[in-house]
Amino acid sequence: MSDAQIEGYARALFEVARADGTLDEVEDELFRFARSYESSDALRSAITDEHTPVEKRQAIVEDLLDGKATPTTVQLVSMVVGSGRGRDLPAIVDSLVQRASSAKQLDVAEVRTAVALSDDQQSRLKAALENATGKQLNVKTIVDPSVVGGIVATVGDTVIDDTVRTRIDQLKARL
Amino acid sequence: MSLAANLQAVAGSLVQVEFDVDDDGYVTAAHPIFPPVKEIFIGGAASLIVFVAIWKFAGPSIVKAMRDRTARIQGELDGASEAKVDAESQASEIRTALGDIDGERQRLFAEADAQAEAILVDGRTRLDQEIAELHERADADIAGAASRGGDELRSDIGRHAAGSIDRVVTETLDDAAQQDLIESFIQRVGASSAGATS
Repeated sequence: MSDAQIEGYARALFEVARADGTLDEVEDELFRFARSYESSDALRSAITDEHTPVEKRQAIVEDLLDGKATPTTVQLVSMVVGSGRGRDLPAIVDSLVQRASSAKQLDVAEVRTAVALSDDQQSRLKAALENATGKQLNVKTIVDPSVVGGIVATVGDTVIDDTVRTRIDQLKARL
Repeated sequence: MSLAANLQAVAGSLVQVEFDVDDDGYVTAAHPIFPPVKEIFIGGAASLIVFVAIWKFAGPSIVKAMRDRTARIQGELDGASEAKVDAESQASEIRTALGDIDGERQRLFAEADAQAEAILVDGRTRLDQEIAELHERADADIAGAASRGGDELRSDIGRHAAGSIDRVVTETLDDAAQQDLIESFIQRVGASSAGATS
């Protein structure tokens, strides 16, 4: 899929969510779903398997998100899967998030933690990252058990890594 | 005519000789050993004549033959002398050659001894070098084996340690530790200013 097509789908999703008035929620939910798609082989296989009918793949997505995401998010994901673009879902969502952040004049900060952050921690982390980078940020938090512990934050080309996984990898390399 | 008569006739024609003749006409002598005196004088004169004749007619030839013989003998003596000189010269050359052979033999022996000594020294040197190289190689092999053993041991330790790290760390990281890590990150990042991050 070309960048233009990805941008086209992202713009369409963005306009739908903004028109629905649920842009922030939809953006956040789509971002989480995209990360889950990247980290789960089973989910990726269920959405992209060409031997499975499109209707069935849409039904799987709707079942997964039912009650866990807004109806708009469910419908948008189902639309992307139904159009046979499930494989490009992460790229489309990332473009959507970038577009939404740009609309609010924010930069995207991707934060990965081993455990979920409290609202207070998210607020303080956002302030800390804005102080460190000098940018207004749209922080997207992902719970990723693979980091084992600590936090890794990515803002554009800047990576602030203080995860246990990285320390373990460094220790293994030294061993 | 008998023989005595004939001889008497011949002699009588030359000199007056009288012979005693027996009854049978054979010549006889007065003494069985010594001739008669007269015969001695006659015989002596005849002999003298013969000797003079020989000296006069055959003497030069004899003298010449003797001189030739003397010259021939002298030549032979001179030849022998030259042969002796030659033989002595050859003997001298042979002795010289023998001396040279002895010298050459001594030189060859000395050269052979020198070569043998050089070969021995060279062999000892090479042997020492080979021994040193063998020692060095053995030391290197031992060091290499020890190093490989150490590397393998470190690798095994590292592999086992790496395999245990995830489990140990995961078991050690309880909620409190997780929260400490998060709070530490927030404080550290919050304390840094823009441009200080990487």
